[in-house]
Amino acid sequence: MGNRFRGDDSVGPYVVHRLRSQLTPSIPCIENNGDMSNLIEDWRDRHVCLVDAVQTAAYPPGEVVRLNGLKQDIPASLCRTSSHGLNIGEALELARALEAMPAHLEIYAICGRDFSFSAGLSAQVKAAAQQVMREILEKIQLQTGGL
Amino acid sequence: MTRSKTVKVDYLARVEGEGALYIRYDEDGVHEVKLKIFEPPRFFEGFMRGRDYREAPDITARICGICPVAYQMSAVHAVENALGLSLSPELHALRRLMYCGEWIESHTLHIYMLHAPDFLGYPSGVAMAKDHPKTVQDGLQMKKAGNEIVRLLGGREVHPINVRVGGFYRLPTHPELGELRDKLLRARDLAIETVRWAASLPIPDFARAPENTYEFVALSDPQEYPMNRGRIVSTHGLDIAVSDYDDHFHETHVEYSNALHSERVGRGAYFLGPMARYNLNYERLSPLVKQIAGEVGFPSFCSNPFASIVVRSLEVLYAFDEAVRIIDNYRAPQAPYIDTAPRPSTGCAATEAPRGLLFHRYGIDASGQIDDAKIVAPTSQNQKTIEDDLRLMLPQYMHLAEADLQARCEQAIRNYDPCISCSTHFLKLHLDPVRPGS
Repeated sequence: MGNRFRGDDSVGPYVVHRLRSQLTPSIPCIENNGDMSNLIEDWRDRHVCLVDAVQTAAYPPGEVVRLNGLKQDIPASLCRTSSHGLNIGEALELARALEAMPAHLEIYAICGRDFSFSAGLSAQVKAAAQQVMREILEKIQLQTGGL
Repeated sequence: MTRSKTVKVDYLARVEGEGALYIRYDEDGVHEVKLKIFEPPRFFEGFMRGRDYREAPDITARICGICPVAYQMSAVHAVENALGLSLSPELHALRRLMYCGEWIESHTLHIYMLHAPDFLGYPSGVAMAKDHPKTVQDGLQMKKAGNEIVRLLGGREVHPINVRVGGFYRLPTHPELGELRDKLLRARDLAIETVRWAASLPIPDFARAPENTYEFVALSDPQEYPMNRGRIVSTHGLDIAVSDYDDHFHETHVEYSNALHSERVGRGAYFLGPMARYNLNYERLSPLVKQIAGEVGFPSFCSNPFASIVVRSLEVLYAFDEAVRIIDNYRAPQAPYIDTAPRPSTGCAATEAPRGLLFHRYGIDASGQIDDAKIVAPTSQNQKTIEDDLRLMLPQYMHLAEADLQARCEQAIRNYDPCISCSTHFLKLHLDPVRPGS
Protein backbone atom coordinates (compact mmCIF):
# COMPACT_ATOMS: atom_id res chain seq x y z
CA MET A 1 0.00 0.00 0.00
CA GLY A 2 1.11 3.56 -0.53
CA ASN A 3 1.56 6.47 -2.84
CA ARG A 4 4.43 6.21 -5.31
CA PHE A 5 4.98 9.94 -5.27
CA ARG A 6 5.14 10.65 -1.57
CA GLY A 7 8.61 9.82 -0.36
CA ASP A 8 8.70 6.93 2.10
CA ASP A 9 5.00 6.27 1.57
CA SER A 10 6.08 4.65 -1.69
CA VAL A 11 7.76 1.74 0.09
CA GLY A 12 4.76 -0.56 -0.45
CA PRO A 13 4.68 -0.03 -4.25
CA TYR A 14 8.50 -0.26 -4.26
CA VAL A 15 8.41 -3.70 -2.67
CA VAL A 16 5.53 -4.96 -4.82
CA HIS A 17 7.21 -3.82 -8.01
CA ARG A 18 10.44 -5.68 -7.20
CA LEU A 19 8.75 -8.81 -5.89
CA ARG A 20 6.58 -9.07 -8.98
CA SER A 21 9.60 -9.75 -11.16
CA GLN A 22 10.76 -12.52 -8.82
CA LEU A 23 7.48 -14.37 -8.42
CA THR A 24 5.29 -16.45 -10.69
CA PRO A 25 1.96 -14.90 -11.78
CA SER A 26 0.21 -17.42 -9.51
CA ILE A 27 1.30 -15.23 -6.61
CA PRO A 28 -0.40 -11.87 -7.21
CA CYS A 29 1.47 -8.68 -6.33
CA ILE A 30 -1.25 -6.08 -5.89
CA GLU A 31 -0.62 -2.38 -5.47
CA ASN A 32 -3.21 -0.43 -3.52
CA ASN A 33 -3.19 3.37 -3.56
CA GLY A 34 -5.30 3.58 -0.45
CA ASP A 35 -8.67 2.31 -1.55
CA MET A 36 -9.58 0.00 1.31
CA SER A 37 -12.71 -1.26 -0.39
CA ASN A 38 -10.44 -2.81 -3.02
CA LEU A 39 -8.29 -4.24 -0.28
CA ILE A 40 -11.27 -6.14 1.09
CA GLU A 41 -11.96 -7.56 -2.32
CA ASP A 42 -8.32 -8.45 -2.95
CA TRP A 43 -7.45 -10.17 0.31
CA ARG A 44 -10.53 -12.36 0.77
CA ASP A 45 -9.48 -15.94 1.77
CA ARG A 46 -5.88 -15.32 0.75
CA HIS A 47 -2.54 -15.57 2.50
CA VAL A 48 -1.56 -11.92 2.52
CA CYS A 49 1.64 -10.02 3.20
CA LEU A 50 0.73 -6.35 3.46
CA VAL A 51 3.52 -3.81 3.24
CA ASP A 52 2.83 -0.22 4.18
CA ALA A 53 4.68 2.80 5.48
CA VAL A 54 3.83 4.29 8.84
CA GLN A 55 4.54 7.66 10.32
CA THR A 56 5.44 7.40 13.99
CA ALA A 57 7.72 8.96 16.54
CA ALA A 58 7.80 5.70 18.49
CA TYR A 59 10.41 4.03 16.28
CA PRO A 60 13.31 5.29 14.19
CA PRO A 61 13.00 5.51 10.38
CA GLY A 62 13.59 2.13 8.78
CA GLU A 63 12.28 0.14 11.74
CA VAL A 64 9.97 -2.68 10.63
CA VAL A 65 6.97 -3.38 12.84
CA ARG A 66 5.61 -6.86 12.13
CA LEU A 67 2.01 -7.59 13.06
CA ASN A 68 -0.27 -10.54 12.70
CA GLY A 69 -3.30 -8.69 11.33
CA LEU A 70 -5.74 -11.38 12.43
CA LYS A 71 -4.50 -11.77 15.98
CA GLN A 72 -3.00 -8.48 17.06
CA ASP A 73 -4.70 -5.14 17.47
CA ILE A 74 -3.87 -2.65 14.78
CA PRO A 75 -2.77 0.59 16.46
CA ALA A 76 -5.27 3.40 16.15
CA SER A 77 -4.76 5.70 13.22
CA LEU A 78 -5.59 9.34 12.75
CA CYS A 79 -7.14 8.36 9.46
CA ARG A 80 -10.87 7.86 10.05
CA THR A 81 -13.66 6.78 7.75
CA SER A 82 -14.26 9.43 5.16
CA SER A 83 -15.18 9.65 1.54
CA HIS A 84 -11.56 8.75 0.87
CA GLY A 85 -11.81 5.38 2.51
CA LEU A 86 -11.21 3.43 5.66
CA ASN A 87 -8.14 2.77 7.74
CA ILE A 88 -6.79 -0.76 8.04
CA GLY A 89 -8.48 -1.43 11.37
CA GLU A 90 -11.84 -0.43 9.90
CA ALA A 91 -11.14 -2.40 6.74
CA LEU A 92 -10.57 -5.51 8.86
CA GLU A 93 -13.75 -4.86 10.82
CA LEU A 94 -15.70 -4.40 7.61
CA ALA A 95 -14.14 -7.53 6.11
CA ARG A 96 -15.18 -9.48 9.19
CA ALA A 97 -18.76 -8.24 8.80
CA LEU A 98 -18.76 -9.17 5.12
CA GLU A 99 -17.04 -12.52 5.67
CA ALA A 100 -14.23 -11.31 3.46
CA MET A 101 -11.29 -11.86 5.76
CA PRO A 102 -7.89 -12.97 4.56
CA ALA A 103 -6.80 -16.47 5.57
CA HIS A 104 -3.57 -15.05 6.99
CA LEU A 105 -2.48 -11.45 7.24
CA GLU A 106 1.11 -10.52 7.92
CA ILE A 107 1.58 -6.77 8.14
CA TYR A 108 4.98 -5.21 7.60
CA ALA A 109 4.74 -1.61 8.77
CA ILE A 110 7.90 0.24 7.77
CA CYS A 111 8.56 3.43 9.70
CA GLY A 112 9.16 6.31 7.33
CA ARG A 113 11.02 9.56 7.69
CA ASP A 114 10.08 11.82 4.78
CA PHE A 115 6.59 11.77 3.26
CA SER A 116 6.89 14.84 1.09
CA PHE A 117 5.98 14.84 -2.59
CA SER A 118 8.58 13.48 -5.00
CA ALA A 119 11.05 12.86 -2.21
CA GLY A 120 11.82 9.23 -3.08
CA LEU A 121 12.67 6.58 -0.50
CA SER A 122 15.01 7.52 2.31
CA ALA A 123 18.09 5.31 2.72
CA GLN A 124 16.85 3.71 5.95
CA VAL A 125 13.48 2.84 4.44
CA LYS A 126 15.09 1.43 1.30
CA ALA A 127 17.24 -0.86 3.45
CA ALA A 128 14.18 -1.93 5.41
CA ALA A 129 12.37 -2.67 2.14
CA GLN A 130 15.19 -5.04 1.10
CA GLN A 131 14.88 -6.84 4.43
CA VAL A 132 11.10 -7.14 4.10
CA MET A 133 11.44 -8.49 0.56
CA ARG A 134 13.85 -11.18 1.77
CA GLU A 135 11.44 -12.17 4.54
CA ILE A 136 8.48 -12.36 2.19
CA LEU A 137 10.40 -14.44 -0.34
CA GLU A 138 11.50 -16.82 2.44
CA LYS A 139 7.91 -17.10 3.64
CA ILE A 140 6.70 -17.92 0.15
CA GLN A 141 9.53 -20.43 -0.30
CA LEU A 142 8.51 -22.16 2.90
CA GLN A 143 4.83 -22.27 2.02
CA THR A 144 5.02 -23.17 -1.65
CA GLY A 145 8.33 -24.92 -1.98
CA GLY A 146 9.47 -22.23 -4.35
CA LEU A 147 6.60 -22.17 -6.86
CA MET B 1 -35.95 33.80 30.88
CA THR B 2 -34.68 31.75 27.98
CA ARG B 3 -31.50 29.76 28.25
CA SER B 4 -29.22 29.61 25.30
CA LYS B 5 -28.01 26.18 24.19
CA THR B 6 -25.36 25.17 21.75
CA VAL B 7 -24.74 22.19 19.55
CA LYS B 8 -21.01 21.73 19.15
CA VAL B 9 -19.63 19.02 16.97
CA ASP B 10 -15.89 19.39 17.21
CA TYR B 11 -15.08 17.00 14.42
CA LEU B 12 -17.57 16.03 11.77
CA ALA B 13 -17.46 12.31 11.15
CA ARG B 14 -18.01 10.61 7.81
CA VAL B 15 -17.29 13.61 5.65
CA GLU B 16 -14.06 14.16 3.81
CA GLY B 17 -11.78 16.63 5.53
CA GLU B 18 -11.69 18.40 8.83
CA GLY B 19 -14.66 20.48 9.81
CA ALA B 20 -16.78 21.31 12.81
CA LEU B 21 -20.26 22.57 13.53
CA TYR B 22 -21.41 25.23 15.94
CA ILE B 23 -25.06 26.13 16.53
CA ARG B 24 -26.39 28.48 19.21
CA TYR B 25 -30.10 28.40 19.83
CA ASP B 26 -32.79 28.83 22.46
CA GLU B 27 -36.57 28.70 22.69
CA ASP B 28 -36.79 31.88 20.64
CA GLY B 29 -34.98 30.35 17.73
CA VAL B 30 -31.62 29.65 16.17
CA HIS B 31 -29.19 32.50 16.64
CA GLU B 32 -25.99 31.29 15.07
CA VAL B 33 -24.97 28.50 12.72
CA LYS B 34 -21.37 28.02 11.63
CA LEU B 35 -20.07 25.20 9.54
CA LYS B 36 -16.45 25.62 10.51
CA ILE B 37 -13.93 24.38 8.02
CA PHE B 38 -10.51 24.30 9.61
CA GLU B 39 -8.75 21.97 7.23
CA PRO B 40 -5.56 23.81 6.32
CA PRO B 41 -5.65 25.79 3.10
CA ARG B 42 -3.95 23.98 0.24
CA PHE B 43 -3.13 26.83 -2.14
CA PHE B 44 -3.64 24.88 -5.35
CA GLU B 45 -4.44 28.00 -7.31
CA GLY B 46 -1.23 29.54 -6.07
CA PHE B 47 1.04 26.77 -7.12
CA MET B 48 -0.65 26.29 -10.47
CA ARG B 49 0.85 29.62 -11.44
CA GLY B 50 4.05 29.18 -13.42
CA ARG B 51 3.25 25.58 -14.36
CA ASP B 52 2.88 24.42 -17.94
CA TYR B 53 -0.70 24.38 -19.24
CA ARG B 54 -0.35 20.66 -20.00
CA GLU B 55 0.18 19.93 -16.32
CA ALA B 56 -3.16 21.39 -15.20
CA PRO B 57 -5.22 18.16 -15.45
CA ASP B 58 -2.72 16.07 -13.49
CA ILE B 59 -1.98 18.64 -10.80
CA THR B 60 -5.60 19.52 -10.12
CA ALA B 61 -6.56 15.82 -10.02
CA ARG B 62 -4.58 15.74 -6.78
CA ILE B 63 -7.04 18.07 -5.08
CA CYS B 64 -9.26 15.09 -4.34
CA GLY B 65 -8.80 11.34 -4.05
CA ILE B 66 -12.44 10.51 -4.63
CA CYS B 67 -13.33 13.02 -7.33
CA PRO B 68 -10.05 13.46 -9.24
CA VAL B 69 -11.84 12.99 -12.57
CA ALA B 70 -13.98 16.04 -11.86
CA TYR B 71 -10.90 18.20 -11.30
CA GLN B 72 -9.16 16.68 -14.29
CA MET B 73 -12.17 17.25 -16.53
CA SER B 74 -12.81 20.83 -15.47
CA ALA B 75 -9.11 21.63 -15.83
CA VAL B 76 -8.61 20.01 -19.20
CA HIS B 77 -11.75 21.55 -20.62
CA ALA B 78 -10.83 24.98 -19.31
CA VAL B 79 -7.39 24.75 -20.95
CA GLU B 80 -8.93 23.47 -24.17
CA ASN B 81 -11.39 26.35 -24.03
CA ALA B 82 -8.46 28.76 -23.70
CA LEU B 83 -6.73 27.18 -26.68
CA GLY B 84 -9.91 27.16 -28.76
CA LEU B 85 -9.92 23.37 -29.14
CA SER B 86 -13.04 21.44 -29.97
CA LEU B 87 -12.95 17.72 -29.33
CA SER B 88 -14.58 15.15 -31.61
CA PRO B 89 -17.80 13.50 -30.43
CA GLU B 90 -15.82 10.26 -29.98
CA LEU B 91 -13.36 11.83 -27.56
CA HIS B 92 -16.19 13.61 -25.79
CA ALA B 93 -17.95 10.25 -25.33
CA LEU B 94 -14.86 8.69 -23.75
CA ARG B 95 -14.50 11.57 -21.31
CA ARG B 96 -18.14 11.14 -20.42
CA LEU B 97 -17.60 7.43 -19.87
CA MET B 98 -14.77 8.22 -17.48
CA TYR B 99 -16.99 10.65 -15.59
CA CYS B 100 -19.62 7.90 -15.24
CA GLY B 101 -16.99 5.87 -13.40
CA GLU B 102 -16.32 8.65 -10.96
CA TRP B 103 -19.99 9.25 -10.21
CA ILE B 104 -20.39 5.55 -9.48
CA GLU B 105 -17.32 5.40 -7.22
CA SER B 106 -18.18 8.52 -5.28
CA HIS B 107 -21.93 8.10 -4.98
CA THR B 108 -21.85 4.43 -3.96
CA LEU B 109 -19.27 5.08 -1.26
CA HIS B 110 -21.36 7.95 0.04
CA ILE B 111 -24.65 6.08 -0.11
CA TYR B 112 -23.50 2.89 1.58
CA MET B 113 -20.65 3.80 3.89
CA LEU B 114 -21.28 7.39 4.87
CA HIS B 115 -24.94 8.33 4.57
CA ALA B 116 -27.13 5.23 4.90
CA PRO B 117 -26.00 4.64 8.53
CA ASP B 118 -27.80 7.90 9.41
CA PHE B 119 -31.12 6.55 8.19
CA LEU B 120 -30.76 3.15 9.83
CA GLY B 121 -29.37 4.34 13.15
CA TYR B 122 -25.79 3.12 12.95
CA PRO B 123 -22.71 5.08 13.99
CA SER B 124 -20.74 3.96 10.93
CA GLY B 125 -20.86 2.04 7.70
CA VAL B 126 -18.82 -0.72 9.31
CA ALA B 127 -21.39 -1.11 12.09
CA MET B 128 -24.17 -1.14 9.50
CA ALA B 129 -22.35 -3.83 7.51
CA LYS B 130 -22.58 -6.19 10.47
CA ASP B 131 -26.38 -6.23 10.22
CA HIS B 132 -26.66 -5.61 6.48
CA PRO B 133 -23.68 -7.41 4.94
CA LYS B 134 -25.34 -8.16 1.60
CA THR B 135 -26.38 -4.53 1.14
CA VAL B 136 -22.90 -3.20 1.83
CA GLN B 137 -21.32 -5.93 -0.29
CA ASP B 138 -23.52 -4.86 -3.21
CA GLY B 139 -22.40 -1.28 -2.71
CA LEU B 140 -18.77 -2.27 -2.80
CA GLN B 141 -19.36 -4.35 -5.92
CA MET B 142 -20.81 -1.32 -7.67
CA LYS B 143 -17.95 0.84 -6.52
CA LYS B 144 -15.55 -1.71 -7.91
CA ALA B 145 -17.27 -1.50 -11.29
CA GLY B 146 -16.87 2.29 -11.16
CA ASN B 147 -13.19 1.76 -10.37
CA GLU B 148 -12.89 -0.44 -13.46
CA ILE B 149 -14.16 2.36 -15.69
CA VAL B 150 -11.74 4.88 -14.25
CA ARG B 151 -8.87 2.40 -14.41
CA LEU B 152 -9.49 1.65 -18.08
CA LEU B 153 -9.97 5.24 -19.19
CA GLY B 154 -7.70 6.90 -16.68
CA GLY B 155 -4.86 4.42 -16.44
CA ARG B 156 -5.46 3.79 -12.76
CA GLU B 157 -8.40 4.11 -10.45
CA VAL B 158 -7.06 6.75 -8.06
CA HIS B 159 -5.61 9.94 -9.49
CA PRO B 160 -5.90 8.87 -13.13
CA ILE B 161 -3.11 9.89 -15.49
CA ASN B 162 -4.39 9.15 -18.98
CA VAL B 163 -6.20 12.42 -19.69
CA ARG B 164 -4.25 15.03 -21.60
CA VAL B 165 -4.99 18.39 -23.13
CA GLY B 166 -6.54 17.56 -26.51
CA GLY B 167 -7.76 14.07 -25.62
CA PHE B 168 -6.19 11.00 -24.02
CA TYR B 169 -2.71 9.49 -24.05
CA ARG B 170 -4.08 6.04 -24.81
CA LEU B 171 -7.44 4.88 -26.12
CA PRO B 172 -9.20 1.79 -24.83
CA THR B 173 -9.43 -1.18 -27.18
CA HIS B 174 -12.71 -2.77 -28.24
CA PRO B 175 -12.02 -5.99 -26.29
CA GLU B 176 -11.25 -3.96 -23.16
CA LEU B 177 -14.52 -2.07 -23.53
CA GLY B 178 -16.40 -5.31 -24.17
CA GLU B 179 -15.06 -6.85 -20.99
CA LEU B 180 -15.96 -3.71 -19.07
CA ARG B 181 -19.48 -3.74 -20.50
CA ASP B 182 -20.19 -7.19 -19.08
CA LYS B 183 -19.17 -6.05 -15.61
CA LEU B 184 -21.25 -2.89 -15.91
CA LEU B 185 -24.36 -4.80 -16.88
CA ARG B 186 -24.09 -6.97 -13.79
CA ALA B 187 -23.54 -3.95 -11.59
CA ARG B 188 -26.46 -2.10 -13.20
CA ASP B 189 -28.81 -4.70 -11.77
CA LEU B 190 -27.41 -3.95 -8.32
CA ALA B 191 -27.94 -0.24 -9.00
CA ILE B 192 -31.63 -0.87 -9.66
CA GLU B 193 -31.87 -2.64 -6.32
CA THR B 194 -30.06 0.27 -4.70
CA VAL B 195 -32.73 2.70 -5.85
CA ARG B 196 -35.42 0.48 -4.39
CA TRP B 197 -33.51 0.14 -1.14
CA ALA B 198 -32.70 3.86 -0.85
CA ALA B 199 -36.33 4.77 -1.49
CA SER B 200 -37.38 2.44 1.33
CA LEU B 201 -35.22 4.21 3.94
CA PRO B 202 -36.99 6.31 6.58
CA ILE B 203 -36.45 9.72 5.01
CA PRO B 204 -37.18 12.67 7.30
CA ASP B 205 -39.60 15.30 6.03
CA PHE B 206 -38.22 18.73 5.45
CA ALA B 207 -39.71 21.44 3.31
CA ARG B 208 -38.71 25.06 3.15
CA ALA B 209 -41.29 27.82 3.26
CA PRO B 210 -42.18 29.36 -0.13
CA GLU B 211 -40.12 32.48 0.62
CA ASN B 212 -37.04 30.33 1.27
CA THR B 213 -37.09 27.87 -1.60
CA TYR B 214 -33.74 26.58 -2.79
CA GLU B 215 -32.19 27.97 -5.89
CA PHE B 216 -30.92 24.80 -7.56
CA VAL B 217 -27.98 25.39 -9.91
CA ALA B 218 -26.56 22.89 -12.39
CA LEU B 219 -25.27 22.52 -15.89
CA SER B 220 -27.82 21.81 -18.55
CA ASP B 221 -27.40 20.71 -22.13
CA PRO B 222 -30.13 19.88 -24.61
CA GLN B 223 -28.33 16.70 -25.72
CA GLU B 224 -27.49 14.95 -22.47
CA TYR B 225 -27.76 14.69 -18.71
CA PRO B 226 -25.01 17.08 -17.58
CA MET B 227 -21.47 15.96 -16.89
CA ASN B 228 -18.86 17.76 -18.96
CA ARG B 229 -20.68 20.53 -20.74
CA GLY B 230 -23.72 22.75 -20.85
CA ARG B 231 -24.95 26.13 -19.78
CA ILE B 232 -25.33 27.05 -16.13
CA VAL B 233 -29.01 27.19 -15.28
CA SER B 234 -31.04 27.53 -12.14
CA THR B 235 -34.58 27.07 -10.89
CA HIS B 236 -34.77 30.84 -10.44
CA GLY B 237 -34.20 31.77 -14.06
CA LEU B 238 -30.43 31.79 -14.40
CA ASP B 239 -29.31 30.68 -17.85
CA ILE B 240 -25.75 31.67 -18.68
CA ALA B 241 -22.71 30.49 -20.56
CA VAL B 242 -19.99 29.09 -18.31
CA SER B 243 -17.75 31.97 -19.43
CA ASP B 244 -20.12 34.34 -17.58
CA TYR B 245 -19.72 32.51 -14.27
CA ASP B 246 -17.72 35.29 -12.62
CA ASP B 247 -20.46 37.83 -13.35
CA HIS B 248 -23.04 35.81 -11.46
CA PHE B 249 -21.18 34.07 -8.64
CA HIS B 250 -18.66 35.40 -6.20
CA GLU B 251 -16.77 34.15 -3.19
CA THR B 252 -16.26 35.77 0.18
CA HIS B 253 -14.10 34.88 3.12
CA VAL B 254 -15.71 34.32 6.52
CA GLU B 255 -13.61 34.36 9.63
CA TYR B 256 -14.45 30.88 10.88
CA SER B 257 -13.85 28.94 7.67
CA ASN B 258 -10.83 28.16 5.55
CA ALA B 259 -13.19 27.53 2.66
CA LEU B 260 -14.56 30.52 0.81
CA HIS B 261 -18.32 30.98 0.79
CA SER B 262 -19.90 31.36 -2.63
CA GLU B 263 -22.99 33.36 -3.40
CA ARG B 264 -25.16 34.15 -6.37
CA VAL B 265 -24.52 37.81 -6.98
CA GLY B 266 -27.50 39.74 -5.63
CA ARG B 267 -29.30 36.63 -4.40
CA GLY B 268 -27.29 34.66 -1.87
CA ALA B 269 -27.13 30.94 -1.22
CA TYR B 270 -27.69 28.32 -3.90
CA PHE B 271 -27.79 24.54 -4.03
CA LEU B 272 -25.55 22.34 -6.20
CA GLY B 273 -25.19 18.60 -6.61
CA PRO B 274 -27.21 15.55 -7.59
CA MET B 275 -30.51 17.02 -6.49
CA ALA B 276 -29.94 20.19 -8.52
CA ARG B 277 -28.90 18.17 -11.57
CA TYR B 278 -31.91 15.89 -11.21
CA ASN B 279 -34.43 18.69 -10.72
CA LEU B 280 -33.11 20.68 -13.66
CA ASN B 281 -32.47 17.80 -16.03
CA TYR B 282 -34.97 15.06 -15.24
CA GLU B 283 -36.11 14.89 -18.86
CA ARG B 284 -32.62 13.93 -20.00
CA LEU B 285 -32.34 10.85 -17.79
CA SER B 286 -32.52 7.50 -19.54
CA PRO B 287 -35.86 5.70 -19.86
CA LEU B 288 -34.64 3.01 -17.44
CA VAL B 289 -33.89 5.57 -14.72
CA LYS B 290 -37.25 7.28 -15.18
CA GLN B 291 -38.97 3.91 -15.09
CA ILE B 292 -37.31 2.91 -11.80
CA ALA B 293 -37.92 6.36 -10.29
CA GLY B 294 -41.58 5.93 -11.21
CA GLU B 295 -41.72 2.44 -9.76
CA VAL B 296 -40.53 3.64 -6.37
CA GLY B 297 -42.79 6.69 -6.53
CA PHE B 298 -40.01 9.24 -6.63
CA PRO B 299 -41.11 12.56 -8.18
CA SER B 300 -39.36 14.33 -11.05
CA PHE B 301 -38.72 17.31 -8.79
CA CYS B 302 -37.72 16.93 -5.17
CA SER B 303 -36.58 19.59 -2.72
CA ASN B 304 -36.20 17.56 0.45
CA PRO B 305 -32.41 17.33 0.94
CA PHE B 306 -32.82 14.17 3.04
CA ALA B 307 -34.05 12.48 -0.14
CA SER B 308 -30.74 13.19 -1.85
CA ILE B 309 -29.69 9.63 -1.06
CA VAL B 310 -32.41 8.44 -3.46
CA VAL B 311 -31.31 10.94 -6.09
CA ARG B 312 -27.73 9.70 -5.77
CA SER B 313 -28.89 6.14 -6.26
CA LEU B 314 -30.80 7.21 -9.38
CA GLU B 315 -27.64 8.91 -10.66
CA VAL B 316 -25.64 5.74 -10.00
CA LEU B 317 -28.15 3.81 -12.08
CA TYR B 318 -27.96 6.49 -14.76
CA ALA B 319 -24.17 6.36 -14.79
CA PHE B 320 -24.21 2.59 -15.35
CA ASP B 321 -26.88 2.89 -18.02
CA GLU B 322 -25.05 5.72 -19.76
CA ALA B 323 -21.70 3.90 -19.58
CA VAL B 324 -23.22 0.85 -21.27
CA ARG B 325 -24.82 3.08 -23.92
CA ILE B 326 -21.52 4.81 -24.63
CA ILE B 327 -19.73 1.48 -25.02
CA ASP B 328 -22.48 0.13 -27.28
CA ASN B 329 -22.16 3.16 -29.54
CA TYR B 330 -18.39 3.39 -29.36
CA ARG B 331 -16.46 4.40 -32.44
CA ALA B 332 -12.74 4.80 -31.96
CA PRO B 333 -11.54 8.40 -32.38
CA GLN B 334 -9.29 9.01 -35.36
CA ALA B 335 -6.47 9.84 -32.99
CA PRO B 336 -6.12 9.72 -29.20
CA TYR B 337 -5.60 13.46 -29.03
CA ILE B 338 -5.41 16.71 -30.96
CA ASP B 339 -2.08 18.50 -31.06
CA THR B 340 -2.01 21.69 -29.07
CA ALA B 341 0.13 24.81 -28.96
CA PRO B 342 0.02 27.56 -26.36
CA ARG B 343 -1.19 31.07 -27.00
CA PRO B 344 -1.91 33.94 -24.65
CA SER B 345 -5.47 33.29 -23.58
CA THR B 346 -7.96 32.72 -20.83
CA GLY B 347 -10.30 29.77 -20.67
CA CYS B 348 -12.85 28.39 -18.29
CA ALA B 349 -15.01 25.31 -17.87
CA ALA B 350 -17.51 23.88 -15.46
CA THR B 351 -18.31 20.22 -15.07
CA GLU B 352 -20.57 18.27 -12.75
CA ALA B 353 -18.49 16.73 -9.99
CA PRO B 354 -20.43 14.17 -7.95
CA ARG B 355 -21.04 16.91 -5.38
CA GLY B 356 -22.00 19.55 -7.94
CA LEU B 357 -20.77 22.24 -10.29
CA LEU B 358 -16.99 22.64 -10.33
CA PHE B 359 -15.66 25.76 -12.03
CA HIS B 360 -12.09 26.28 -13.28
CA ARG B 361 -10.54 29.29 -15.02
CA TYR B 362 -6.96 29.59 -16.25
CA GLY B 363 -4.90 32.31 -17.84
CA ILE B 364 -2.11 31.08 -20.11
CA ASP B 365 0.78 33.17 -21.44
CA ALA B 366 2.52 32.90 -24.81
CA SER B 367 5.02 30.34 -23.52
CA GLY B 368 2.29 28.09 -22.16
CA GLN B 369 2.75 28.97 -18.51
CA ILE B 370 -0.35 29.32 -16.38
CA ASP B 371 -0.39 32.88 -15.05
CA ASP B 372 -3.76 32.85 -13.32
CA ALA B 373 -5.95 30.10 -11.88
CA LYS B 374 -9.32 30.02 -10.20
CA ILE B 375 -10.98 26.87 -8.91
CA VAL B 376 -14.36 26.90 -7.20
CA ALA B 377 -15.23 23.57 -5.57
CA PRO B 378 -18.82 22.43 -5.04
CA THR B 379 -18.62 22.28 -1.26
CA SER B 380 -17.66 25.91 -0.91
CA GLN B 381 -20.64 26.77 -3.09
CA ASN B 382 -23.02 24.69 -1.00
CA GLN B 383 -21.69 25.88 2.34
CA LYS B 384 -24.20 28.69 2.81
CA THR B 385 -27.09 26.44 1.89
CA ILE B 386 -25.95 23.84 4.41
CA GLU B 387 -25.91 26.50 7.13
CA ASP B 388 -29.31 27.81 6.02
CA ASP B 389 -30.73 24.28 6.14
CA LEU B 390 -29.56 23.82 9.71
CA ARG B 391 -30.96 27.21 10.70
CA LEU B 392 -34.33 26.46 9.14
CA MET B 393 -34.74 22.82 10.15
CA LEU B 394 -33.56 23.09 13.72
CA PRO B 395 -36.81 24.50 15.16
CA GLN B 396 -38.64 21.29 14.27
CA TYR B 397 -35.98 19.20 16.01
CA MET B 398 -35.45 21.26 19.17
CA HIS B 399 -37.47 18.79 21.23
CA LEU B 400 -34.93 16.04 20.53
CA ALA B 401 -32.41 14.91 23.11
CA GLU B 402 -29.01 16.49 22.57
CA ALA B 403 -27.39 13.40 21.04
CA ASP B 404 -30.30 12.92 18.64
CA LEU B 405 -30.26 16.60 17.74
CA GLN B 406 -26.57 16.39 16.96
CA ALA B 407 -27.10 13.26 14.86
CA ARG B 408 -29.84 14.98 12.88
CA CYS B 409 -27.59 17.99 12.26
CA GLU B 410 -24.78 15.75 11.05
CA GLN B 411 -27.20 13.92 8.80
CA ALA B 412 -28.32 17.24 7.34
CA ILE B 413 -24.68 18.03 6.54
CA ARG B 414 -24.06 14.61 5.03
CA ASN B 415 -27.07 15.16 2.75
CA TYR B 416 -24.62 17.27 0.79
CA ASP B 417 -21.68 14.83 0.89
CA PRO B 418 -19.38 17.77 1.57
CA CYS B 419 -15.77 17.34 0.60
CA ILE B 420 -14.09 19.73 2.95
CA SER B 421 -10.59 18.97 1.72
CA CYS B 422 -11.65 19.98 -1.77
CA SER B 423 -13.08 23.25 -0.63
CA THR B 424 -10.05 24.51 1.27
CA HIS B 425 -7.55 24.79 -1.49
CA PHE B 426 -7.58 28.54 -1.43
CA LEU B 427 -7.52 31.19 1.21
CA LYS B 428 -7.81 34.78 0.16
CA LEU B 429 -5.17 36.83 1.95
CA HIS B 430 -5.69 40.52 2.53
CA LEU B 431 -2.32 42.10 3.14
CA ASP B 432 -2.36 45.48 4.80
CA PRO B 433 1.22 46.70 4.72
CA VAL B 434 2.25 49.11 7.43
CA ARG B 435 3.65 52.21 5.76
CA PRO B 436 6.74 53.88 7.18
CA GLY B 437 5.77 56.55 9.66
CA SER B 438 2.25 55.31 10.13
